[in-house]
Amino acid sequence: MSEHVPHDKSELVKLRSVNDLRTTMGQYFERLREATETGSRKIAWCTSVGPAELLYSMGFEVYFPENHGAMLGAGKNADKYIPTAVAHGYSPDICSYLTSDIGAFLQNETPLQKSGFKSIPRPDILVYNTNQCREVEDWFSFYARHFNVPIVGIQTPLCISDLNPEIIKSVSDQYHRIITELEKVAGRTFDIDRFREAVGLSHDGCVLWSQVLQKATHIPSPINFFDSAIHMGPIVVMRGTSHAVDYYKILLAELEERIENNISAVPEERFRIYWEGMPLWYKLSSMAKLFATLDTCIVASTYCNSWIFDDLDPSDPFESSALAYCKLFIVRSETVKEKVLVRLFKEFTIHGIIYHESKTCARNSNNRFGMQNRLIKQTGIPYLEINGDLNDPRCYSEEQSIIAIETFIDQLEGKKN
Amino acid sequence: MYRLGIDLGSSYTKGVLVDENNQMIAFHCVKSGYNFKTAAKKIISHFAENYEIEYPVFTCGYGRDEIEEPYVSNSELSALSKSVYDIYNKACSIIDIGGQDTKFIQVNALGQVEKFKMNRKCAAGTGSFLEEIAFRLDITPEEFTKFAKEATEEVKINSFCTVFAVSEIIGLIKSGATLPNIIIGIYNSIVLRSFELSLFEDHLVITGGLPAMHPMIVSLFKNRYPDSDSPEHSQFLAAYGSVLLTSNNYQEGGINESS
Repeated sequence: MSEHVPHDKSELVKLRSVNDLRTTMGQYFERLREATETGSRKIAWCTSVGPAELLYSMGFEVYFPENHGAMLGAGKNADKYIPTAVAHGYSPDICSYLTSDIGAFLQNETPLQKSGFKSIPRPDILVYNTNQCREVEDWFSFYARHFNVPIVGIQTPLCISDLNPEIIKSVSDQYHRIITELEKVAGRTFDIDRFREAVGLSHDGCVLWSQVLQKATHIPSPINFFDSAIHMGPIVVMRGTSHAVDYYKILLAELEERIENNISAVPEERFRIYWEGMPLWYKLSSMAKLFATLDTCIVASTYCNSWIFDDLDPSDPFESSALAYCKLFIVRSETVKEKVLVRLFKEFTIHGIIYHESKTCARNSNNRFGMQNRLIKQTGIPYLEINGDLNDPRCYSEEQSIIAIETFIDQLEGKKN
Repeated sequence: MYRLGIDLGSSYTKGVLVDENNQMIAFHCVKSGYNFKTAAKKIISHFAENYEIEYPVFTCGYGRDEIEEPYVSNSELSALSKSVYDIYNKACSIIDIGGQDTKFIQVNALGQVEKFKMNRKCAAGTGSFLEEIAFRLDITPEEFTKFAKEATEEVKINSFCTVFAVSEIIGLIKSGATLPNIIIGIYNSIVLRSFELSLFEDHLVITGGLPAMHPMIVSLFKNRYPDSDSPEHSQFLAAYGSVLLTSNNYQEGGINESS
């Protein structure tokens, strides 16, 4: 039930750290811009859960097209670019990060132009890992053909149940194998100590990010999913550097302070939700307001929890990288995923689950093989399914979804009473 | 003084007047058109001719907040669950087929929403699907029912997409299928589409404008679920439920009125 007009619950208090986040991300893009314009450093493109540590350790500046895809989505411009990629033969049913990114490139537009870039950074090499999906290879191949630069990748098995030594060895071997090409492009020799250092920094950044997310186990939570989806930027693009580590120390301190002063992300938190699936980038702000109005905090998500690679170990950088990047939620079997989710539901005191079935991202839509029914049987926690997409707003019916979300909160209210 | 429930739906705005014994006593329905505020005014002025209306009114539906008079709004799914539970007083599975949405709601024995699901972002299997086909074939809803009764066998309609369904129908007519057999196929495609939403484990209740205007749809549900039924005035039940859900709270709690 909604009454009119109550006090405005949608006025969310922003995290102070957002200013440091802007600075940290601004400096990252500045380093990329400088390298692009002066050629002072080689540029490697990397998938979001690819071997960033290896690339940073070899002196590359690292650019992440998925981060760019999310920027296009959050800027509400993806639907302006997707048709161009479709006209070039890319289906509207495949990854809308891919179609919006390639479409924007073909139109010679990028949000980075606001930061002084003429275009997106030209790659010297493209490096992918198929752990998250196979489509990244096709995405990077487009640019490899366009710029006529080398592309190397790590093929990770899918739906991993048992992380056996054969799988770890296979992935670790592939890490070793791509080094030759990286050395050629970087013009320098691989240095194991630098790699150890990057792996150590990545580990430390991931642990801090994990501690940030864990703060949401507090009732009420000092942070919600819509904050985390923005504040995850450094762990995606600066994993393996001290910049990410430095930033998450600041954010963590602010969350601790919030808990101490009893400041919550949603002023009157009554319901705690788990978000399964991708964010709808073009609706982050309106959704944050909607849930706040409903006294509901999305306290945890598969998406943000996916960047916790705490198995990374500088004493064994290759094997531990292989382990960490094969342990990733998205690349695991349904059985393993269900165990992870049940643990998170418990840790975060979850009242309800929202599954976002993303039209163009099958791998991040975990309600397609009956998981939602198995988990409700196991946990009794009610769920809601929302149909939408990470970037393509044409796949989302907002009015219908708002009614569904309001009804879901009514449903949780009924259960609570 | 009578309480008024208004369901401002994507196609039609439905109003129901409720007396002090929580009984529905009068009904009125207008096309929603492009302006929900006008549609709500039409409903209010229609009832105001003969009855004294108590404010706020109780709204639900897509246009639930698009009203200038004092109101309290609800989700139409919560509202519909409330009224259906009040009628049956037991666990029910509800299928509601409206202008743009097909909804499944499972109400438990305590009257709580246990589970619900809406159609995907696609109007196949909803009122708009049928309206488009009726427009393109130039036949009225009444003729739909009349033709369906003359069907000798069902012709399968495979297309999910409304526009392609019309192309498919034209193709079927060209290949010699009769209109009655095609129409029963259209009805069946709507019913089958709603079966995708869930398994119906409890007493099945069919509501909404589409089954109300096309009783053949209810008959087709009964073929598979013989105990299912559709209560009288089923397209007004969400509006009715909105009154039942919140009027008591309003009277007791002093909820703020709108501007």
